[in-house]
Amino acid sequence: MKDKQKQLEVMKQILLYAVGGVLAFMVSGCMGAAAWDRDLLAQRPMSLNAYPNLAAFHDHIYFSKEGSSGGRTTDGGGCGCN
Amino acid sequence: MQLRSRGRGRLCRTLGLLTANLFVVTGVQAQQAPSGSNEATPSTELVSDEAPQSDLGMTRIDTSVLFYQEDGGRVRTIEPVALATLNADNGDILTVKLTSDTLTGATPNGATPWTSTQTFTTPAHAPGTQSVVTGSSGGSKLVTIPGVGTIVRQYSTAPNQLPVDAGFRDQREAIDLGYSSQLNADTSLSGGLGGSVERDYTSLTGSLGGARDFNHKNTTLSASFNFEYDLSRPYFGTPTPLTVMSGDPKGPSASKRVYNVVLGVTQVMTRRWLLELNYSYGSTQGYQTDPYLIISVVDPTGAPLEYLYESRPNTRTRESVYMDNRIAVGPTFADLTARYYWDSWGIKSVTVGASDRIPLIGGLYVEPEGRYYDQTAASFFHNYLLSTQPIPTYASSDSRLSKFSAVTAGARIGLKVGSTGELYLEGERYIQTGVNHPAGAPGALAMENLFSGVSATSFVLGYTFAFY
Repeated sequence: MKDKQKQLEVMKQILLYAVGGVLAFMVSGCMGAAAWDRDLLAQRPMSLNAYPNLAAFHDHIYFSKEGSSGGRTTDGGGCGCN
Repeated sequence: MQLRSRGRGRLCRTLGLLTANLFVVTGVQAQQAPSGSNEATPSTELVSDEAPQSDLGMTRIDTSVLFYQEDGGRVRTIEPVALATLNADNGDILTVKLTSDTLTGATPNGATPWTSTQTFTTPAHAPGTQSVVTGSSGGSKLVTIPGVGTIVRQYSTAPNQLPVDAGFRDQREAIDLGYSSQLNADTSLSGGLGGSVERDYTSLTGSLGGARDFNHKNTTLSASFNFEYDLSRPYFGTPTPLTVMSGDPKGPSASKRVYNVVLGVTQVMTRRWLLELNYSYGSTQGYQTDPYLIISVVDPTGAPLEYLYESRPNTRTRESVYMDNRIAVGPTFADLTARYYWDSWGIKSVTVGASDRIPLIGGLYVEPEGRYYDQTAASFFHNYLLSTQPIPTYASSDSRLSKFSAVTAGARIGLKVGSTGELYLEGERYIQTGVNHPAGAPGALAMENLFSGVSATSFVLGYTFAFY
């Protein structure tokens, strides 16, 4: 049990460092793309919700079978899932 | 049946224009940043075969069906979904989503396996009715209790097998409506309504959200709020937690309320990198116990003495931080996600996911994908209760509340059809790994596999297209 907690704490630290690194990058002024430089960002695979049905299927399965939920959007399974 | 909505696009157009995207409140906003760039001059450096694409002014139809099967004849789901997204010229977006969900199979009842046959007894009738329960009665038989005359339902589990309630069957129908309005060039508001009905469960939801672009549309801040009301109407009524499993009549329906807030920032990091960061907080008040689950009370030899209906706290708060990175790497598109989650029930989890979309020839692509998940157990999770110890206030043997990890591996292949269409097929394998033989299990229970987590295979077949 303690190993599990330790493992989760390490993963949490890595995640927090990643978020911290990203935030540091964001405030550094190096971020962004000019309006004429967004050809790649405009493509469908770069959209955060290009496949809403697939995302909803995944959320439904994981919501039904795991103890955690949410994060990507507001919570809510809408089902008494078995 | 839901797929018929494909032909109802114009009807939906006249019916809607009132609400917002329930599932993608933040996602819609996230789309604004890159979509705002469609007025930009196309770069001559295009490295993939994907053309910059905007659905502005178009209606997009997304129809797909999920086939999901758990190993060992457990739950099978077939779930067709039809989603229509109407994009007005001014940036407003209306979504209408219809879902139909059919579930069959066997589901664990929470009891531990044992070396001899176990028989489980439940009520045969819903409260106040004489109609025999059929919703989850497969693999069972109706028995009249001698001397009392009460008819009950019974099913048995063979020695050393995981106790499951076989023949489970349910049907769910859901509708979700959403509307996002572009107030000005940088600000949008959204709202949504949703409803989902099963024979034993009803869920109603409403949501509100807002988003604002900053920094020449490189940054989007968003906030969304969701309220959910759920009514649980178990087939045979709601059992009193921690009472002995029996065929006696149970209590009335029970409800819960769920509130969720998501605060997000979407940031264009570079020409090739889009980032989303979310913080979520959720609070649930009301009935959260699973009325169908029981927990074994065992003696020092591990033999089951009785089965109690499980018991969970009425309050639960959940929090999470979530990160999604979309990165164009050469001609491919990578998606890297991570989430850290914690709640008041004592569950902490880490989730990481990765996929990479690799263009092939002729509008064909393949996207390998993987996910790893790891959680701790809820504070009131027990595989069983010992008859020699006091019964706790809360106890559940639901494997979803236990300590386990899970791996998903799969791939999607897609084919471009015309200028806006795509046909796609995704296959995935999902495997949970838990503690099969927990330390301290008494007597012969130490030899039994006490982890009832799932392994499942799923496929999704989908087709999406857009038109003016």
